[in-house]
Amino acid sequence: MHRRSWLKLSLGAAVVLAVGGGAVALIEPAWREGRLTAAGRRVFMHTGRAFLDGSLPIDNAQRTQALAGLLDRTEALIAALPTHAQRELSQLLSLLATTPGRRTLAGLAPEWDDATVAEIRRALQAMRLSALTLRQQAYQALHDITGSAYFADPATWSVLGYPGPAPLPA
Amino acid sequence: MSKPTDPIADGLRRGWKVAGGSHAPLPAKVACDVAIVGSGAGGGITAELLAKAGLHVVIVEEGPLKSSSDFRQLESDAYPTLYQESAARKTRDKAINILQGRCVGGSTTVNWTSSFRTPVATLDYWRQHFGLAEFGNDTLAPYFEQAERRLSIGPWLTPPNENNDLLRRGAARLGIAAASIQRNVKGCWNLGSCGLGCPTNAKQSMLVTTVPAALEQGATLLVQTRAERFELANGRVKALLCAPAGQAGPTIRIVARHFILAGGAINSPAVLLRSQAPDPHGRLGVRTFLHPVVMSAAQMPGKVEGWQGAPQSIYTDHFLETHPIDGAIGYKLEAPPLHPVIFASTVSGHGQEQSDLLRQFPSTHVLLALLRDGFHEESPGGIVRLRGDGTPELDYPLTGFVMEGARRALLSMAEIQFAAGARQVVPVHEMARPYGNWDEARDAIAAFPMKPLLTKVVSAHVMGGCGLAGRPELGVTRPDGVHWQLDNLSIHDGSLFPTSIGANPQLSIYGIANRLAQGLARRLGAGEAILA
Repeated sequence: MHRRSWLKLSLGAAVVLAVGGGAVALIEPAWREGRLTAAGRRVFMHTGRAFLDGSLPIDNAQRTQALAGLLDRTEALIAALPTHAQRELSQLLSLLATTPGRRTLAGLAPEWDDATVAEIRRALQAMRLSALTLRQQAYQALHDITGSAYFADPATWSVLGYPGPAPLPA
Repeated sequence: MSKPTDPIADGLRRGWKVAGGSHAPLPAKVACDVAIVGSGAGGGITAELLAKAGLHVVIVEEGPLKSSSDFRQLESDAYPTLYQESAARKTRDKAINILQGRCVGGSTTVNWTSSFRTPVATLDYWRQHFGLAEFGNDTLAPYFEQAERRLSIGPWLTPPNENNDLLRRGAARLGIAAASIQRNVKGCWNLGSCGLGCPTNAKQSMLVTTVPAALEQGATLLVQTRAERFELANGRVKALLCAPAGQAGPTIRIVARHFILAGGAINSPAVLLRSQAPDPHGRLGVRTFLHPVVMSAAQMPGKVEGWQGAPQSIYTDHFLETHPIDGAIGYKLEAPPLHPVIFASTVSGHGQEQSDLLRQFPSTHVLLALLRDGFHEESPGGIVRLRGDGTPELDYPLTGFVMEGARRALLSMAEIQFAAGARQVVPVHEMARPYGNWDEARDAIAAFPMKPLLTKVVSAHVMGGCGLAGRPELGVTRPDGVHWQLDNLSIHDGSLFPTSIGANPQLSIYGIANRLAQGLARRLGAGEAILA
């Protein structure tokens, strides 16, 4: 698996699905017509609540709103990526949204909707330090996109103690 | 201070010839003396000189024309608009993130203004190993001087920001010499937003210097226009085929006496690969270098606020100068600017542990090490190839030789940070945690598996792939900048370099493109021109 690239993800996906007993035809695309599908949003929503645990607002309503903002900005970020990167990401997210993909690639047993933050973080940590390049690449992509999208919004900067750009004369 | 004027908006009002994007419609056919692909460091310098020499110049730029009125100091604006692949271009194995500009002015619009002449040791190596007898320091000096004058490159007399001063203080405590970085700025407001497009036009990028000068001379600028490929016949380029960015298939045909590739490393070799340019010695796209960068974060007792002030003003070459250039890989140490998006994507980990580090942003100090690649057989760089859709991809294996250099660099940075008073240091590595003292950090770093994807590696300096060489079997490009197999094609950008530079490369590109462009103007029978 050393140096496996995402371009080979389709092969990886097939292997994972064979292992998990799934059917390729049932995979919902994660990126379609310039938008994240429900599958793509589900993966980013749940990895987002784990990555950003400790940075998200504590209040439930505010946290829900913050995660919705994260998903919107994630979509905008992906929309600005070149087609080849969108395609690879879509494959990755589609796979993670399936039960066999979630179990094999993320190592997460419960459904995304049922998993606790602690369970998702354990899965992310295993991906982060995995011996499989594909799992490390997947972790890095989720990490970088989540951090970039979340902290692109000035409303999040209070967490960082960042005052925003220096004002210029109007 | 009053609101800065926008020289680009003024020029457009005065009738500069700009087409593409929201400007005039792109023409289907263009005829000119010289067509230049790219408007960055190499393309900009070349365009000004050739236009001043009286040649009709057309510049083709893949990115948009943005200017100070657009630059709001926001990463969410800048990365998708001004950078290649939204600042998320990656090597084939995704182990290195590459920052390259993609806008009028190229990387010079978004770089951090650090200006160094090509180190003498690098030029000596080129002469010895690549037959580049004409690339001596004394020969190049006047061309560097002209570029320095043109771009207001000089000492930065304002005190360094705290992020840079910590490097100075930490190094001094260890007896390591550090020095000030020259910058290409005029009337700089010390805002710290250089990487997001200068909102005050103080940075003397190609966007506000050479490209406007060329346009004033009557040059044409095609923006949001992608150079697809050359049409070749009988050892010459017949035409350049272009397409509006984001659209498939070429719709614009440019005919010229001479063509210049200045799209930057990765992109320039890619145009030649798509053109199926002759490459009898297998040199095209190989030896692409990155100055692979590793980083070390430190929490200081006081405020650092690495987002404000000139981004890079202090450096040390101690770890370049204490090794032979062809021995164990050396590295240059600098401090990078810190903004929320780049910070959040760089701080490794997840959940509460990551949040604890993110919340210390105002007191976080970061050092980076640029590894000097390309001077040893175990540092051959990477290879540019094309994907099925014709877009380029860099395959850059991080060898054990390079990664052992990365380990030494993490050690050096942590030691300097503790010497500067750090409360804790976090090397940017997936297996790192915050270390409270130098002994602890040293032992941990010594034990890190220095593997790609575990060690965070980034790059902002892409070089090589169309290397200069005195003999055709050693490179793609002749010492006068002309392609070894295509008589009316020159390459004038960072892809020329046969190794990495060992310093931030913008001034190397300015100086060398300056020399090559003056020679080309003479060969084309145009008037004499020098940079203003």
